[in-house]
Amino acid sequence: MSELNTRREFLRNLGLGMAALPFITNLPCLASEQKQRKQRLVIIFSPDGVVPGTFWPDEEGENFTLKESLKPLEPYKKNTLLLHGVCDLIRGDGDNHMRGIGCLLTGIELFPGNIQGGSDTPAGWASGISIDQEIKNALQAKPATKTRFGSLEFGVMVPERADTWTRMCYAGPNKPVAPIDNPYQMFSRLYGREKDRESLKSVLDDLREDLNRIRQSVGTEDRRILEEHTALVREMELELKTNLSKNAVHPVPVIEPGVRRDNDNIPQISKLQIDLMVSSFMADFARVATLQYTNSVGQARMRWLGISEGQHDLSHEPDSNADAQNKLTRINHWYCSQIAYLVKRLSETPEPGGNGTLFDNTLIVWTNELGQGNSHTLDNIPFVLVGNAPNFKMGRSLKLKRVPHNRLLMSLAHSFGHHITRFGNPDFCGAGPLQLG
Amino acid sequence: MHKLPASPLLPALTALLLTIAAGVSVIAFQTQKPHPGERIYRQQCASCHGAKGEGAKAYPKPLTGTQSVEQLADFISKNMPPGPKKCSVPDSKQVAAYIHAAFYSPIAQARNKPPRIELSRLTTRQYCNAVADLIGSFRPAPAQDERRGLRGEYFRSRTFRNNEKQIERIDPAVDFDFGREAPAKEGFDPRLFSIRWEGSVLVPETGEYEFVLRTQQAAALWLNDMRKPLIDAWVKSGNDTEFRGSLFLLGGRAYPLRLEFSKAKQGVDDSNQTKNQPVAPASISLLWKPPHRVVEPIPQRSLIPSRGPEVYVVSTPFPADDRSMGYERGTSVSRAWDEATTEAALAAGDYITEKLPELAGVSENASDRRQKLRSFCRLFVERAFRRPLTDDLEKIYVSRPFDTAPDLDTAVKRVVLLTLKSPRFLYRELESGKPDAYTTASRLSFALWDSLPDRELLQAAAEGQLSTYEQVRKQAERMGSDPRTWFKLREFLLQWLKVDLYPDLVKNPKSYPGFDEAAASDLRTSLELSLQESVWSERSDYRELMLSKKVYLNGRLAKIYGVNLPPDAGFQPVLLNAEDRAGVLTHPYILSSFAYLDASSPIHRGVLVSRSFLGRVIQPPPVAVAPVAPDLQPNLTTRQRVEMQTKPPACMSCHALINPLGFPLERFDAIGKLRTQEKGKPIDSSGSYLARNGKTVSFSNAVDLGRFLSESDEAHAAFIEKLFQYTTKQPIRAYGPSTITKLQQDFRANQFNIRKILQEMVAVSASGS
Repeated sequence: MSELNTRREFLRNLGLGMAALPFITNLPCLASEQKQRKQRLVIIFSPDGVVPGTFWPDEEGENFTLKESLKPLEPYKKNTLLLHGVCDLIRGDGDNHMRGIGCLLTGIELFPGNIQGGSDTPAGWASGISIDQEIKNALQAKPATKTRFGSLEFGVMVPERADTWTRMCYAGPNKPVAPIDNPYQMFSRLYGREKDRESLKSVLDDLREDLNRIRQSVGTEDRRILEEHTALVREMELELKTNLSKNAVHPVPVIEPGVRRDNDNIPQISKLQIDLMVSSFMADFARVATLQYTNSVGQARMRWLGISEGQHDLSHEPDSNADAQNKLTRINHWYCSQIAYLVKRLSETPEPGGNGTLFDNTLIVWTNELGQGNSHTLDNIPFVLVGNAPNFKMGRSLKLKRVPHNRLLMSLAHSFGHHITRFGNPDFCGAGPLQLG
Repeated sequence: MHKLPASPLLPALTALLLTIAAGVSVIAFQTQKPHPGERIYRQQCASCHGAKGEGAKAYPKPLTGTQSVEQLADFISKNMPPGPKKCSVPDSKQVAAYIHAAFYSPIAQARNKPPRIELSRLTTRQYCNAVADLIGSFRPAPAQDERRGLRGEYFRSRTFRNNEKQIERIDPAVDFDFGREAPAKEGFDPRLFSIRWEGSVLVPETGEYEFVLRTQQAAALWLNDMRKPLIDAWVKSGNDTEFRGSLFLLGGRAYPLRLEFSKAKQGVDDSNQTKNQPVAPASISLLWKPPHRVVEPIPQRSLIPSRGPEVYVVSTPFPADDRSMGYERGTSVSRAWDEATTEAALAAGDYITEKLPELAGVSENASDRRQKLRSFCRLFVERAFRRPLTDDLEKIYVSRPFDTAPDLDTAVKRVVLLTLKSPRFLYRELESGKPDAYTTASRLSFALWDSLPDRELLQAAAEGQLSTYEQVRKQAERMGSDPRTWFKLREFLLQWLKVDLYPDLVKNPKSYPGFDEAAASDLRTSLELSLQESVWSERSDYRELMLSKKVYLNGRLAKIYGVNLPPDAGFQPVLLNAEDRAGVLTHPYILSSFAYLDASSPIHRGVLVSRSFLGRVIQPPPVAVAPVAPDLQPNLTTRQRVEMQTKPPACMSCHALINPLGFPLERFDAIGKLRTQEKGKPIDSSGSYLARNGKTVSFSNAVDLGRFLSESDEAHAAFIEKLFQYTTKQPIRAYGPSTITKLQQDFRANQFNIRKILQEMVAVSASGS
């Protein structure tokens, strides 16, 4: 239905006054734009934990060295904040993979259910909203920060089954949000209406020509209705012309066609999705985005790195298996390089109608359902923050003392001016948001 | 019982009907004195201006214009007639008033114009059906299956492995409580089994359907779209045991359905470790909430055990069609309509390009993809336009989009967009002059199905098999037995009975205990079952529709209407008050609809009989009148109250007709239940009707009224005219002045068979010019 709604909107917006609105609000001369900087949040998920020894810096503070897994972030080190010691303390039903992803952004227990994990009790969906949706709702509630979509949920090779292991975002209790892992589907969601306008414009001439021809052939009494019809077509043609010329502000991106949904195409799909995310920010379609690589227990086979084993199988290997640990490090290095690519794209793209680049107004949070794969620990969940946001002092490596991740989720909301006093399970929100400024 | 003399009266009767249909006078059946201005006009003006202002030798220009009555009167008194002696001021006023209303004004001109077949766009109903059938024509035809229920397969595993299948059968409905048991005594472990139901769901009417699954276990429902579940409750989470999903569906069609159920944990299989744990309960029900109804298990009559192809449903909202003539018609266009056609065409384009491998039979990377898609598009345009494509049109509608679009998918999308926006698709009767075979084919299919011609019909047109009336009649007969014809007939009957817009059937719960929302919903079902039995049977006898004493009741309704049936009994025909019931007019749903919260309404019932059954035209009341509240006159019966209130002569001009047609139904209360007295007084159910031939017919009760309606030529003519106009969406007089008379004779000759007369009138309209 949502596709339809946007199309309906599009048609209604064909009218001149309405059509101009989304463009006008994005112009720098408008007061609202000056009062409040645009602010964006991107949350990126990769699965199966990390290799702590090659991930976390040894040092604490502003002087630290990025280890092998995080090397791709070297150029953006000044804008990177590494948070060691943030723990997912949520317990209850479900195994650690399930709670790992299901409680990661919700900070609250799973409902009891019928999904049986490799251990523990069976569980269902998370029992609360996730932080990305919470912030999106807060932004959508205010005219100054409201955007066409509010949030966009991207995915890369997310399995085609809906269960606790494949969903990270929740619109509310028992309301998982499915990521879109097909870039072409995402493209038509974002730009379908622009393509439709082009198609419409291309056929109207022919339509009018045929209408004229038919009008000549019917009796005089029947001409009236066809004349009225022709006038309507002409009206639409005029409006489209005006509309398309305004459209030049945000041209529809051209994307590589024909990339199939396949394990070996993960690098291309990832790039397409990141490019689309950047385009959507340029057009200010959304201020919140998530990007989910595969799923909890993800089994990507990174053959493009020369690794033929599935990631989850590798993650179970003991620390003593140096080959496996090396491969896992390279796998995380690859995910990190995707973050770096996103940062690069954002920092090369000027903020439309504002100063600086998109990167100046974006905070990226890269995370994972586990601290480490072979122990399935929910302690020291990787939280790698890159970018710029109020209340976050970047360029540091912090070693925190087993703080519940709920507090970090609250910090994200506070950074957007959404001052919630608790999020998820209140028992883990006691000391309030983490102070990271 | 009075009988109307039949044939000698016919011409006069027809003439009357014609006048009424043209709307010259809303009370044409009453004897009227000629307008005083008419006498003056005839004496002093007609010799120069013609009897109807059409002009004469002395002054050949027709008397038409846009001056007001007063302006005209002023002009006449000063200028007419030529010569020294002018028309007096009062006379001028009379003449002006007369000619203005009779032929001078644009309104009078429009009224006097002979009716003709008007160029019309598709109505919304026709548009939705046409798009569904156009896309559906590239899919296998839905299987004809008379069986009802769903095919159920029962497995002794948590998923559906064929070697674990233990039972395969047709279940009448999905409404099972297994408790802690297995589906059968043997072959199953009650801890772990799964069931898959497949088939189709037959949807009675267009609208939003809510589907409901109730289960404590894992279940998922696919409806129409077999790839994406409408309800996905495979992950059980928390305490919810009820899951809902809504879908907009077109009535009269069957949609594929699959329901999967699993009593087992999902995810990692740990069944080996849980063998000795206590057995949990299991149940599953599949329910729905059709538009304006309550939630109920999907009944067996709406389930088919075989699965047909997906149906494309236009979900774009369209502005409502003009119903001012009593039937939907497409004689005007508006911006909202134009926008809706664009939106709907774009949506269809998206759908088609997404399904190209299935619809066009061409894979993503076929080497001849371009060529195959072009032929697909050519066929698409041809079927949309209902006639062979000329080279000229092929150039515009196929070649140009293929030559200019950046890629093939966009080309297909543009063909679809242009085709569905084209007047050749959107309009009917674009060809002037005598209809050719393809116009005849379209007229047939739109009249019977509100949709495009099917393959057989187009083939008949191509082979010249639609050139004689007999050939056309034969096609009408073939198409007339298709379920789509019943669907259209059903829609006609409901709007003829004025219940297509769903009156809000609420009754005072104190006076009518048990008559709740569910009972109202059941009563509606009962009406539709009765209509189907009377009209969609072989006999399809109009007289049975007017006289049947059978009413469909289930357990809930039986209790309310005092019939002895088990509380959980399904719908069955019951002889209900055989002495007093007479056909559809006495169906409790109709009687309840034309009644108040607490009281019957002879006026509403009388208006229904006058307008729908006898084709009389009644003006709205001259002044707004609030009905007298029953508690203000606690001692009066409903009849006495109505008589008292409508006594003034201004009221009686219409109520003299209305009231005595409503009074015979007074033996039925506000829910259509039989009563013998009201407020301690016996019911007076006598009534009468002053027929168009000037004779008065009297009735002592509903059965007399039903018998009169079943035999009256007036009623037959009204029924035929309304059915004709509803099916063709054109005025019946546009097909020649004798059409209605001829159809009336055919109706009588064929034992008043409604299906046959429908086929006949459709054939007449399809071959007429």
